[in-house]
Amino acid sequence: MVYTATDLFSNSSFGIGSFFHSHLGLYYPTFDPDSTYETNYYDLKDFVGRPNGWQYNERVIFCVPLRDAAPHLPMFFGHMKNMTYPHNLIDLAFLVSDSSDDTMGVLVSHLEEIQNDPDPEFHFGQIEIYEKDFGQAIGQGFSDRHGFAAQGSRRKLMARARNWLSSVAIKPYHSWVYWRDVDVETIPTTILEDLMHHDKDVIVPNVWRPLPDWLGNQQPYDLNSWQESDGGLQLASTLDEDAVIVEGYVEYATWRPHLAYLRDPYGDPETEMVLDGIGGVSILSKAKVFKSGAHFPAFSFEKHAETEAFGKMCKRMKYSVIGLPHYVIWHIYEPSNDDLKHMEWMAQEEVRLQKEEVIYSVYRKIFDEGFENVEDDWKSEKPRILRNTDSSKLGRIVNVDWSDADIMDQRSINKKILKDKLSELEEKSDTKKKEPLLE
Amino acid sequence: MLLKYPIVYQIRRNPVKFFTPILGLIFLWVFLIQDKSTKKPNSPYSYKSKVFGKKNDWIPRNLPADHISHYDLNKLASTPMAAYNKERVLILTPMAKFHQGYWDNLLSLTYPRSLIELGFIFPRTQEGDEALKNLERQVKKIQNPKNKIEERFAKVVILRQEHESLKSQNEKDRHAFKVQKERRSQMATARNSLLFTTIGPYTSWVLWLDSDIVETPPTLIQDLASHDKPVIAANCFQRYTDDNNSPAIRPYDFNNWIESDEGLRIASTLGDDDIIVEGYSEIATYRPLMGHFYDENGDPKTEMPLDGVGGTCLMVKADVHRDGAMFPNFPFYHLIETEGFAKMAKRLGYDVFGLPNYLVYHYNE
Repeated sequence: MVYTATDLFSNSSFGIGSFFHSHLGLYYPTFDPDSTYETNYYDLKDFVGRPNGWQYNERVIFCVPLRDAAPHLPMFFGHMKNMTYPHNLIDLAFLVSDSSDDTMGVLVSHLEEIQNDPDPEFHFGQIEIYEKDFGQAIGQGFSDRHGFAAQGSRRKLMARARNWLSSVAIKPYHSWVYWRDVDVETIPTTILEDLMHHDKDVIVPNVWRPLPDWLGNQQPYDLNSWQESDGGLQLASTLDEDAVIVEGYVEYATWRPHLAYLRDPYGDPETEMVLDGIGGVSILSKAKVFKSGAHFPAFSFEKHAETEAFGKMCKRMKYSVIGLPHYVIWHIYEPSNDDLKHMEWMAQEEVRLQKEEVIYSVYRKIFDEGFENVEDDWKSEKPRILRNTDSSKLGRIVNVDWSDADIMDQRSINKKILKDKLSELEEKSDTKKKEPLLE
Repeated sequence: MLLKYPIVYQIRRNPVKFFTPILGLIFLWVFLIQDKSTKKPNSPYSYKSKVFGKKNDWIPRNLPADHISHYDLNKLASTPMAAYNKERVLILTPMAKFHQGYWDNLLSLTYPRSLIELGFIFPRTQEGDEALKNLERQVKKIQNPKNKIEERFAKVVILRQEHESLKSQNEKDRHAFKVQKERRSQMATARNSLLFTTIGPYTSWVLWLDSDIVETPPTLIQDLASHDKPVIAANCFQRYTDDNNSPAIRPYDFNNWIESDEGLRIASTLGDDDIIVEGYSEIATYRPLMGHFYDENGDPKTEMPLDGVGGTCLMVKADVHRDGAMFPNFPFYHLIETEGFAKMAKRLGYDVFGLPNYLVYHYNE
């Protein structure tokens, strides 16, 4: 890994272009790799990130935390392949932690496949895979992960993982950092350009998920993107130093405006919303944000942790934090415990109906064999045997006189019931009293 | 004379007839042929490069053929036997001025250089330019590929900070209370930029060593590592000549301290964006300062727990930084930069220590 300033100048990617506006008057040393061992110079101002970075060869570091993610990887690499941002400008960094499935094997095979594609347009830049286990006290089922009690410590652990990844992955020459979860089902191929051209320090899309028909078709997924409210601040002031507010749980009612709920399916995807807390499904940020120290707090920072606290920290460091309410990406649907119970019930119900059908078919057969069906005969014989069966044709008017009907007083009924009850109890207690005497 | 040629006559008579097909061809070329390479299906954006000259896609050299590299961070450790276990140390120095004493002292360290990576960051000032030129000269001497591997450092990264710097840096202005917050906030940003672009998957230890530390024991790294503490600070003193013209020493770095009741009381009265900086008469915190705990005859291995640290000579296990402990450039519990770092490390569950009897010396301006 050797970059030198000579590279910069001869290839003039940053050299000549940026020389005129940022290096003017500043000394720019050159370290030739042939005469200076493993020494590199970078001017960080060359890598601050422009809204059309892809036209300036700006490099993106694509960070993906992975845990037991093998089933999602094929879908993820499907998206990766189709991304329109020039692949050679994208460096990939994966952190594989605490996985019990073959995440690593599946990951490597997919990477090798894409890197050995005959078309060099598909090849990515530098790819780094890191392994680090943090010890996982909490399961990975949907309800394990999303249960209220688990949130605080789970999110602190997730935060540590993210920090380990970004701290080792970001190099001086990266201009952008993109965080992405693997379990995204539908995402525009231009996601990087779409987010980048807003020219914000930190920006997130809206994240929804599709639902089965019986649950209402679709639903907001990521409730971690929100704007601070008075209710939230008031709640925060009542909590102790280590408490972590997690958004989207009834236990903490903050009345904050959520990015997810402000979606209008027909709204302009360019619409922006200022946020304070953000979710981690898909974050694009300028690399200078992370370089200058913003990270995912693994402790309670202003009563938040991980991505929500990252948003808060960025605001504290005077960076812009923006969400796009009408620009949506779709997370996969993972059923919750209640959903699973309901789905189990639906499955059982189906089986039960099938069994019932089998039993009924046997019954029907026995019935058919044991009895002669005389229904048709009866239809033709009925008028001959019974007469005047159709009362509507008789034209007779029936009058009922209700005047002397007894309208019982509800109170007297209640009294009667009470009386009965009491006498019943008395009888019972009498028999009980007698029992010990029998001994 | 040109008019004699019939073609010129034709152009003069009806220029539109002549130039339309040429314009048409240019039009075709620009919008069809050219556009093929700058447009992509399914994307409304233009991919035309705005970089002049040859394209540099910044694929690093020396990469495996498929560009995939693999690191197992579970094997990474920071142990008291750092040198024996071949643990990599990253020495980080924000440098506004180059002191030959700093460089000579750095070269006198006995920790194997093949395990040391260096990182420097310079301000965008003329002063920074001067320092950079001096450092460049020294680095080129040491990192010459003809030198033996024991003489070269494993890696050197030199950065220019992104933000413009405060202009004045002379001793008096530098310590004025009012500019402290701004100055230390910028310093924190510089430290973070240096840290988070150089810390790598091999790094076990990070040693923060200020550019004006001109004298340390040669076994500095081994000594600090041997304490096996997540964060440990040496006691920073300064040599001077006293009134009797005899050499003497005095404490220099007052950012190593233990929190006091008075300090906490003052903090509770401050607004969210106010900070406390140590060593100024404006705010008397009565915090016990490590500088005052030096005992000439004491054991240099003596440890004391601290709540705030300075960055002059500070050894940090790389895991602490990887977990997120950084130098806040905003008031964090009314603390900023290195002092805020100590607080953040503690919030992450790490203990912070100092060595009152283990001295390193600051350059005397």
